[in-house]
Amino acid sequence: MSAATVAAPHPSTRLEVLSSQERYDIDRSLRGPLLIFFGAAIFWLLIGSILGTLAAFKMNYPGLLDSEAWLTFGRMRPAHLNVVAYGWASTAGLGVAIWLMARLCRVPLRSPKLIISAGLIWNVGVLIGTLAILAGDSRSVEWLEFPGYVTPILFFAYSLVGVWAIVMFRFRKPGHVYVSQWYLLAAVLWFPWLYATANILLIWQPAQGSAQAAVNWWYGHNALGLWFTPIGLASAYYFIPKVIGRPIHSYYLSILGFWSLALFYSWNGMHHLIGGPFPAWMISAAVVASVMMFIPVLTVAINHHMTMRGNFAYLKWSPTLRFTVFGAMTYTLVSAQGSTMAIPALNSLTHFTDYTVGHSHLGLYGFFTMMMFGAMYYIIPRLTGWEWPSASLIRWHFWLAATGIVLMVGTLTVGGVIQGFALRDVEVAFMSSLHFASPFRYVRTLTGIILTAAHVVFAVHFTLMLLRAGEQKKSPTLLATPNKELAAV
Amino acid sequence: METGIILLAVGFFLLGGSALAAFFWAVRDGQLQDLPAGSRVIFDDQEPIGEVTDCFPDKRSRSAVKQLMKS
Repeated sequence: MSAATVAAPHPSTRLEVLSSQERYDIDRSLRGPLLIFFGAAIFWLLIGSILGTLAAFKMNYPGLLDSEAWLTFGRMRPAHLNVVAYGWASTAGLGVAIWLMARLCRVPLRSPKLIISAGLIWNVGVLIGTLAILAGDSRSVEWLEFPGYVTPILFFAYSLVGVWAIVMFRFRKPGHVYVSQWYLLAAVLWFPWLYATANILLIWQPAQGSAQAAVNWWYGHNALGLWFTPIGLASAYYFIPKVIGRPIHSYYLSILGFWSLALFYSWNGMHHLIGGPFPAWMISAAVVASVMMFIPVLTVAINHHMTMRGNFAYLKWSPTLRFTVFGAMTYTLVSAQGSTMAIPALNSLTHFTDYTVGHSHLGLYGFFTMMMFGAMYYIIPRLTGWEWPSASLIRWHFWLAATGIVLMVGTLTVGGVIQGFALRDVEVAFMSSLHFASPFRYVRTLTGIILTAAHVVFAVHFTLMLLRAGEQKKSPTLLATPNKELAAV
Repeated sequence: METGIILLAVGFFLLGGSALAAFFWAVRDGQLQDLPAGSRVIFDDQEPIGEVTDCFPDKRSRSAVKQLMKS
């Protein structure tokens, strides 16, 4: 099982020097494949933002664009969810995971064609699935709306990357396995398990009755917790210490956090079904596990805060750090919020309201998406050998994204609580509860526009980068590896 | 129903087994000893501890980071 079988020296004595040349070779080998992953991800991010913003508009103006079936809310909303989950988040996440895996295993990519094919097939799958949803061929299973014929395409494309990642790990250079590698390896094994199980039990040989809902939310929640979360955390555990040049505060806590996440997370999904027709033990187990999530979350929060302590000044000067720390702080917030939402007393207030919508955006956007932006700001210059063309475009991107998501989650949270109290009050008619939520939904639509603007800025900047509008990287420290002397070696 | 359940059962044992195997391998291999060393593997001679590796692509940010690194 291990590469280090024969009388391997103690980990601390076999720290080897990772040379600039080695880093350069690895980045060089990943250039083509990863630019495809990142380019496609940014494309889907734009499509997903437009779909989401249009769906938000329809909450304010239900008659808007209702002449064509494919433009109706019932298709636009699942299309938004699947485009951002599989088109943007998973594609960007796979790209970042591949880069981190190669850098931490210290092995260049020997099979670029494999990864390029995987990227292309994956995106063809997402495209077919999205068009199918818009055409009305959707499965009414949240998070799995793509029709059955898309599943094998996505699964095959994913398997190419997954198997590659395991092979890469097998042939890594000797040394200590960094905590990010643990997270990535776990994510690589969890995702196919989740995706296959959900497809077997919901599509291929569907479970009966309410058990379907249990499987549905087991999958929906684990896609966040055991697929996106480990990739996001792997990214934070690498980039925060790497950017500020300071080892993680407590490596012990990071390992504890990893194993406790692995232990507790997969029990959480059932808290979406509190009050539903399920055996009490299933719901109770989910509530207990959700509260136990405080352990892995606090280990991450303490660790990242203590690592950053005394270095917060760098937030002003490093784009990667700024996005990553925003994501890391949001991770603590969104996880703590999630744990409290699983407590039945609070759940009875927030369930079926905009509060939950705010929570999921805080997770997938405030945490994961910001984390991916941070990673991409670090990785892309190293792939291309060029600096980002404009510091102010990065600042615009950050402030639009940060303002947009804070405002969105803030309004949905307040609106959701008001909506929840109205729903609970027998004196208040159901329609009135919607009227109470309405002003907040106008602001939410506005935030959708702000976030779309942020993504346009990022897409324009990425395109400029590909057109090589910036300067070539030469500074020896700040953007280290590929300089002319090295390239000539 | 049968085939699906059997596949899931097999998958479950494979996944659970690999998690256990990974954990025991990590213990045996010494991955869980000398943890502080683990946190240093992402640094090396060219990008040592204390070296900031990212900043905005403008002169002001570069000189600010250099100042901060000195202090």
